[in-house]
Amino acid sequence: MVTKDSERILSEGGVEMKKAILYINQFFAGIGGEEQADHVPEIREGLVGPAILLNQLLDAEITHTIICGDNFIGSREAEAVEIILGFLAERKFDLFFAGPAFQAGRYGNACGVIGRAVQARFAVPAISSMNKENPGVEMFKKDIYIFPGGKSAAKMRDDMKKMAEFGNKLLKGEQTGFAENEGYYGRGIRHQVWLKNAKPAAERAIAMLLKKLHGEEFQTELPIPKIDQVPIADPLKDLSKATIALVTSGGIVPVDNPDRIQSASATRWGRYRISGLDKLGNRKQGKFKTIHAGYDPAAGDDDPNRVVPLDALRTYEKEGKIGKVHDYFYSTVGTGTTEAEAARMGREIVAYLHQAGVDAVVLTAT
Amino acid sequence: MRLEIANFPVTDVIFGEKTSYQDGLLSINKDEALAIIREDEHITSADLVIARPGENKRIVPVKEAIEPRYKIADLPVFPGVTDRVATVGTGRTVALKGTAVLAVGEHWGSFGDGLIDMSGAGADYTYFSNLINICLVADTDEEFERLEQQKKNHALRWAAHQLAKYLGAVVKDLEPGIENLEVYELPPITKRTKEVNDLPSVVFVMQAQSQMEEMGYNDLVYGWDMNHFVPTLMHPNEILDGAIISGSFMPCSSKWSTYDFQNCPIIKGLYQEHGKTLNFLGIILSNLNVNLEQKQRSALFVAQIAQSLGADGAILAEEGYGNPDADFIECFVALEDAGVKTVGVTNECTGRDGRSQPLVTLDEKADAIVSCGNVSELIELPPMEVVIGELQSLTRDGLSGGWADDEKLGPSVKADGSIILENNSMFCGDQVLGWSPKTVKEF
Repeated sequence: MVTKDSERILSEGGVEMKKAILYINQFFAGIGGEEQADHVPEIREGLVGPAILLNQLLDAEITHTIICGDNFIGSREAEAVEIILGFLAERKFDLFFAGPAFQAGRYGNACGVIGRAVQARFAVPAISSMNKENPGVEMFKKDIYIFPGGKSAAKMRDDMKKMAEFGNKLLKGEQTGFAENEGYYGRGIRHQVWLKNAKPAAERAIAMLLKKLHGEEFQTELPIPKIDQVPIADPLKDLSKATIALVTSGGIVPVDNPDRIQSASATRWGRYRISGLDKLGNRKQGKFKTIHAGYDPAAGDDDPNRVVPLDALRTYEKEGKIGKVHDYFYSTVGTGTTEAEAARMGREIVAYLHQAGVDAVVLTAT
Repeated sequence: MRLEIANFPVTDVIFGEKTSYQDGLLSINKDEALAIIREDEHITSADLVIARPGENKRIVPVKEAIEPRYKIADLPVFPGVTDRVATVGTGRTVALKGTAVLAVGEHWGSFGDGLIDMSGAGADYTYFSNLINICLVADTDEEFERLEQQKKNHALRWAAHQLAKYLGAVVKDLEPGIENLEVYELPPITKRTKEVNDLPSVVFVMQAQSQMEEMGYNDLVYGWDMNHFVPTLMHPNEILDGAIISGSFMPCSSKWSTYDFQNCPIIKGLYQEHGKTLNFLGIILSNLNVNLEQKQRSALFVAQIAQSLGADGAILAEEGYGNPDADFIECFVALEDAGVKTVGVTNECTGRDGRSQPLVTLDEKADAIVSCGNVSELIELPPMEVVIGELQSLTRDGLSGGWADDEKLGPSVKADGSIILENNSMFCGDQVLGWSPKTVKEF
């Protein structure tokens, strides 16, 4: 265990040294690679692996290193989070670091999951670093500070330096600026600012227009997020022979919510058998309800068929208008759910639909 | 069309025996000025109060701001409003520079009213903290709307326009220094030189506020309600010379006051570039009606006019947020689809936490936007020694950025006179017509 220079602490007037904790995976802890990826979460006093470097760069003491296997947290996320939050419950720390994760997808996911959980539970800023190709960036950049990093551990020093420098600003209580200036990936938080030497809007507009007119590069002040357009599917050839599935982001689930789908910012979805049912029973009958926090649940609880229209599809089935209603409906919650999570859940659901030979989906929102 | 604006810089305003202007000192005979105000029998009580930059003064509820002006020789200053309908934008107009007449409720505020701090941190949020404000603080007998959140504020707004004209007349016989004479001249579009015609040609599309279906709340062009309007071509001089007056509806930081129209920085900027880097064709005036078909119709008109004029580029500005964002994006896309390269100017509504979608609707074609502020930014300000108007209006009367109570934040107005409000209620604070020194950044 390496400790900080005690003289330095004294020279700062005996003020208690600030503390930080670092999360790393089994590989960077030197435990092992893929074969050790199920390593159970553990906490060690002092510095393990990259913690030594962070401890040098940071104006705080790294008191502990948390280690967890990438597979463990990937496949048993809730359990891993609970264990790690438990490690931290009685500890005092001012900052939480995770990574750097470079381009490693599962490690990026782990840093994001644990960073977000620690930040939410202990109100301590979480800082990480990931390469822009790491899926963890899109998944977690809105939740924690993530700095752009290199592709591999060769960039360890550079990446850790960015994390530490920003951490030092937070430790000093300095006012931090906007993402572009500080260097982290924008968190989707937009606030008005007065820039130094700012030109008035009229000048900015005319300058931008002249650049646009001359085909020169210009910088919009309000970037429009790229919209992922999905082409409309070809029409069904014969509806009377088609198997139709019901999928919803309206949060209809069995009343005990067996899959523990979250009421907002969902990461989980469920599939529920409806073969043999003419319609969905309601909450009072102990059958189905909505757990979606983004709209008034009264109507959905009273008649879940208004969100998942099984009753109407059954009628069409009887009339021969459609071939068959698929034996399950699929459900998650749309409110606050990120596009990345929604797309992942969509892909997972589609795999089941393909397997069952579903021809078309009625996708209902709220 | 050739317009001369003869500016007479005002360095101080005082009350005196005679309404006069000399060497920058504007003196107002208060009784004489108030007599003009009281010609409207709906004004039941009125006073004039001066607020200078740097003073420890807070003004609320502010309903309108107007630059004091007079048009030689007694031609309409606000046609179709306080004067007969006649073309403006030609001839000479005199202006008392550095001052504004403010219409301030003595007690009662409304949704579109705002707040001005003359010093301290609050002064950064509005252009009007830089001006010597001549505050008309008045009450009226408009009982039908006294307790309404939306008010037409007709009597007060019209009285302020009358006062602005009365004050402007004080310099009608004076000749300004050459440095204070602004000349705005733009030849007819088909009568310009080859050099000018060879430059990229640009229109300025102004989407003025028109959301209210009932008359009396919207911006007026030559006295005509902008809700009953389809887009048309106008000469920039008309806008600079009083053709449009501000309405009484929009959350205040998004609002364009009459003063903003009279001094519109985007128009002045385009004039400056005219003949150098661009060919300024003129203004396409449009609106912000709430009905979808009306939005589409206006966008079609704008795109058609721009295309017929052969515009290469456009600056597009909206007076509002929320529902008007749909008009802004609709029009932006229509212009781009018509081959007119467009830059939009707007504010955003990203919420107090900054996490909401900035505009109600977005489109990838809106690839060039100047952003002037976030309406929902939370602002806390200390008490001011003097309040002009009534501070309680911020918390009581449904101003767009104030509230009576909040579980976490309490009321907007605290016992000691300090306040917490959203940027929404900063008087014409987002300055989308071109002053805004603010932008919005991602954190």
